[in-house]
Amino acid sequence: MKTRSKKLVALFATVAMTASLLAGCGGGGAATTEPSDTQATTDDAAATDDAAATDDAAATDDAEATDDTAAAGDTNSTPRNETLYFAGQQWGTINDWNPFSTNSNNPMCVQQKDSSRTLIYETMFMFNMLDGKLYPLLGSEWTWDDDAMTGMTVKLNPDAHWSDGTPLTANDVAYTWDANVKYDSSLGMDFQNYVESITAVDDTTVSIKSKLDDAGNPTNPLKVQQLLQQMYVMQKAYLEKVEERTGGDKEAMKLDKMDDLVASGPYLPFFDDDQKVVFIRDENYWGQAASMWGKLPAPKYIAHVIYADNNAGQIAMEAGDVDVAQQFTTDVQKLWEEKGLPITTYIDEPPYGECATMPSCWMNVEKPGLDQVEVRKAIAMATDFDQIIASAMSNQSPTFAQVPRSTMNPTAGEQALYDHDAVKDLQFVGKDIEGAKALLDEAGIVDSDGDGIREYNGTPLSFKAECPDGWTDWMASLEIVASSAKEIGIDIQTFFPDTNTFYDDITTGNFEICMNSPSGSSISNPWGRCMQFLSSQYADLEVNWSGNWSQYRNDEADEILAKIPLETDEATLKEYYTRLNEIYLTDVPSFALMYRPELFYIVNESVWTGYPMKDDGTNIPPTDCTDGYGIAALYNLTLVE
Amino acid sequence: MKNTIKQVFHSPKFVIGFVIFAALLLTTIIYPIVVATDPLEMVGNGNFFKPGTYVSVKDAVEGTKYTLNIDVQSASLGSKISAEDKEAMKEWLVKFGGVAEADIDVEDAEGLIGLWEANYSESAEQKGLTASKKKYYIRLNKNIDGILLNNDVIVAQENSETGELEQSASIGSQEFVNTKDVANRRTFILGTDNFGRDVLTELVHATKTSLRVGLIAGVIATLIGLFLGLISGYVGGVVDDLIMFITNMFTVIPSFVLLILISYSVGQNARGVNLVGMIIGITSWTWTTRSVRSQVISLRNRDHVNLSKLSGHSMMRIVLTDILPYLASYVVMAFILQISSGILAEAQLSMLGLGPSTSNAATLGLMMNWATLYAAPLNGSWWAYFPVVITIALIAFSLNLMNTGLDQVFNPQLRD
Repeated sequence: MKTRSKKLVALFATVAMTASLLAGCGGGGAATTEPSDTQATTDDAAATDDAAATDDAAATDDAEATDDTAAAGDTNSTPRNETLYFAGQQWGTINDWNPFSTNSNNPMCVQQKDSSRTLIYETMFMFNMLDGKLYPLLGSEWTWDDDAMTGMTVKLNPDAHWSDGTPLTANDVAYTWDANVKYDSSLGMDFQNYVESITAVDDTTVSIKSKLDDAGNPTNPLKVQQLLQQMYVMQKAYLEKVEERTGGDKEAMKLDKMDDLVASGPYLPFFDDDQKVVFIRDENYWGQAASMWGKLPAPKYIAHVIYADNNAGQIAMEAGDVDVAQQFTTDVQKLWEEKGLPITTYIDEPPYGECATMPSCWMNVEKPGLDQVEVRKAIAMATDFDQIIASAMSNQSPTFAQVPRSTMNPTAGEQALYDHDAVKDLQFVGKDIEGAKALLDEAGIVDSDGDGIREYNGTPLSFKAECPDGWTDWMASLEIVASSAKEIGIDIQTFFPDTNTFYDDITTGNFEICMNSPSGSSISNPWGRCMQFLSSQYADLEVNWSGNWSQYRNDEADEILAKIPLETDEATLKEYYTRLNEIYLTDVPSFALMYRPELFYIVNESVWTGYPMKDDGTNIPPTDCTDGYGIAALYNLTLVE
Repeated sequence: MKNTIKQVFHSPKFVIGFVIFAALLLTTIIYPIVVATDPLEMVGNGNFFKPGTYVSVKDAVEGTKYTLNIDVQSASLGSKISAEDKEAMKEWLVKFGGVAEADIDVEDAEGLIGLWEANYSESAEQKGLTASKKKYYIRLNKNIDGILLNNDVIVAQENSETGELEQSASIGSQEFVNTKDVANRRTFILGTDNFGRDVLTELVHATKTSLRVGLIAGVIATLIGLFLGLISGYVGGVVDDLIMFITNMFTVIPSFVLLILISYSVGQNARGVNLVGMIIGITSWTWTTRSVRSQVISLRNRDHVNLSKLSGHSMMRIVLTDILPYLASYVVMAFILQISSGILAEAQLSMLGLGPSTSNAATLGLMMNWATLYAAPLNGSWWAYFPVVITIALIAFSLNLMNTGLDQVFNPQLRD
C-alpha cells in the first residue's frame, strides 16, 4: 500500500511538472513571437478597449484605433519592427506627466535639462552638445534685441500646433512661463533670477526680457539663452483646465497627474504600468511640415520595459530586446569583440562615447581637516586615477594624461577656452604617494600616536565618503580613493546610502566627502560648471541642489564668475577661465575622478539601424535619440535589411 | 575521550568533511606565507583579466631570442581570422567589392586575404550595412593588415636629444623567447577581479576572514544559546518562562532582518570583521537555546542528577559535571552548524553591502558583491565569482559533513 501510494504521488508530480514546464515554454514562445507583418489582431479588442480609452486620448479618435487598442491589451504586442525599445532611462512605474512636479518619476517624458527630452513636450530650441549650438524646434530663430542683451525676440514656427489640432502660439509660451513662476516649479524658481518676463508680441513672436541689475545690465544673458533649450512649452488652454481643477493651489498643481495632457511633440502616451512604458507616434504631428523635419519619426512606438537593474537590462540588450541602452556596461567592447553581437557605441574604441561631464570628489571644506588645502590636495595627489578609469569606469573615459583636469569637459570647444600651459605645473598626476606624504609632512600634519592615521589638531583624519548605493562605477571609484588615502595615512570609509538619503546629505552639507557630477554640456557652460565648482553663491544656499557642494568660498573667483556672462571678447574670456582654473587646481575644493558621458549610448542594430555615429557627417549627438538635438536621430532610423 | 575521538575518526563522512576543512584551513595559513602580496593591491589596470601568466612585453623584446622553425603563419592566421570572418569577408567582397562569388575560395586563406587587400576600402559605399557591421569590417581589416607579409617588427626608441626614432631591435617572425627568461612576469591562476586584484590571493584571504567571522559568530551564538538553554532547562519555572519568552520573540523575528537592521545602524565605520562576526553571533543563538533546553529537561530528572542534588552539590556543579557532559556531543555539532551558517550569513550581508568595507578586508561576500555589480556572470568572467561560490559551498559542505559524521557516532538511533 505504502509503495503504491508513493508511486501515485510520483506519477502525479511528474505530470504536474511536465504540464507546468510545457505551459512555461508555451508562454515564453508566445512572448518572443515577433509579429513582422501581422498587425495586432482585433480579436481581443473588446477586452482592451477601456485600457486604451484611459491610457490613450489621441489614438481613439483615429482610424487605427482598433489596431492600437489590440496592441495595448497585450503589453508585448506592439510590432517589433515598429517599436524602438529603450533601457536605462525609466526605473519604476510612471507616477505623473507633470513638468511642474517635484517628485515626478517619469524621465521618459519629463526631463527639462540642458538637452531636454522632447518626445512628448517640446522646447523652443534643441541643444546640440557636439557643436554647442541651439537648433530650431518650436522656435525658428532668436535674436538679442540690443548689444547689452537686455531682451530677446523669438520667432515661433507658424506650422507648430498641439496634439488636439489647435495652433501653438506665443501666448502659450508666455502663459507657460507665468505658470512656472506662479506655481514655483523648480525651473521657475531657478530662472526667475534671470528672466524678467515673457510676453507675446503677436501669434508667432515672443519677447523675453532679461532681469536687470541696479546698473541696468542683464543679470545673466547665458541663463536667458538656456531657458530656450530647457523650458517645455505647454498649452495655455490645458494649463487653465488644470488650474481650474486644482483651484490654482500651488501644491495641488504640482501634484496633478496631467495624464490627459495636450502636448506638441512627436509622441503621445499610449500605455504604461509597472512593467512597461509605451509611447505612440502622433500621426498628426506638426513637425512633418517641411519647415521642421519634413516627415514623421521612423518608429511608431517608443517602448521602455522597466528592468529590475542594469544586469537585467544588459541581458535584454544582448538578446536584441533593447535597441538603445542608457546603461553603464562593464567591458562593453566584449559585446562585439567576443560575443559578436550587432551592438555598437558612438565610437568604436575607448572611451566609446562622447564624455561631457566629470564626476568629482567633493570635499566639505567646513569639516575640520578638510578645511586644510594640504589635506585636500594630498587626497587628490594620492588617488590612482588611471585605476579608476581603467577598472571603475571600464576604460569608458579619456585619461587625465589625455585630457588634463580642469573645469572644462573634454569637448574640443570647451578645452580651447583656457590656457593649458598656464596651469600645467598645478596639475597632479595621481598615485603620487610620496609627493602627498611629503606635502602633509611639510604642513605638520603627521601621525603622532603611531596608529597609521595622521592627526590634524589632535583629531585623526578620518572621513566618510559617500555616493548612492547601486551606482556601481561611483562606488568603485570611491573604494579606490579610499584605498589610496590609506597609503598616505588618511582614513576614508565608504558609505553607500540610498539615493534619497544621499541627496539629503549633500544638499544640506551633512557629509565629509561625496561624489557627484557637475552639469554636462549646455549653452551656458563652461560658465555654469565653473559656478558649480567655485561659486560662493551656491555655498550660501540653505538647501543646495545647484553646485559647489564643497561650500568653498573665494572672493576673486566670485568676481570673475560675475563678469563672464557679460563678456563677449574671447581673449578676455580665456584669461578669466584660465585664472578660474588656477584657483580650482590650487585650492582643490573638489577634483574630477573620471570623465563620463551625460548618457551612455549603446545601440543594438538587430532591428533598427541608422543611429548617429562619430564622424558619420550627421552632426547628431549621441544623446540616445531622445535628448536635445539627438532626437533628430529618430528621423534617420531605418529597419535593418 | 581518546576513545571517542578514535570513534569519530572511524566515520567516513566525518573524515571527508574534516579533510576538506583542514585543507581549506591549511591553505589559508600556508598560502599567505608563500605569496606575500597584499590581497587588496590593485595590480591589473582594468576589469577582469583572464587567468594566465603575464610576461613583460618589454623584457620579452629585450630578452634572449631563440629561433624555432615552426609554421607561425598558419597559427597566427587562425588566431586572427576565424571561419566566420572568412565568410563575412566573402560576403563583403561579393556585395561591395565587385568580386564574383566563383572567384572566392574561402578555404584558401591566403588567396582570400589577397583579394581582400586588393578590394576592401573603408570608405566604399556600403549601402544597407549597419554601423556595427561596418565597424566590424574596419576592425577585421586592421587585424589582417600585413598578415601575409613576413616582415620583421621594428622596435624603435625615441632619441631624447633629437626626438627622432632610432631602431633598437628588429624581431623576425620565427623568433621566440623562453618565458622563464623574462624577469617580470606574474601568474594569475584565477585572473583578476573588477578592481584588478589577484583573485586567488584575495580568495585565500577572504576564506580566512570568513572562517574567522564564522568562528566568532559560532562561539558567541553557541555560548549564549548554551548558557540560556542550561539555565532555562535546569531551573525551570518563571526563569524558564522568561527565557523562553525572549527566545520565542527572537525566533519569530527573522534573524536575517534583524541582522540587516543591526548592521545598518552600526554604520560602515565600525563594521570590522570581528564586529560583523559578533553581530551574526548575537542574532543566531535561538535554536541552540531551544534544543539545549529540551535536552536538559530530559536530563534533569535522571537518577545521577537527583543523586547529586541529594548530595547537596551546588547547581553550578551539577550543571557542569552531571548535565553538560551528556550534551557535549550535541553542542559540538550545533557549534559546527553555527560556524557554517555564520559564514553564509556574512556572505549574504556583504552581498548587500552591509559587511566589512572593501578597502579594509577581502571577504567572500564582498567578492561576490563586486563580481555581480560589474556583471561578471554576464561578460563571461567566471573566475571572478565561480571559485568564490565553490569555496563557500566547500566550507558549508565540509562542516555539515562533519556534523553528520558526529551525529552518526553519537546518536544511538543512527549507530550501525
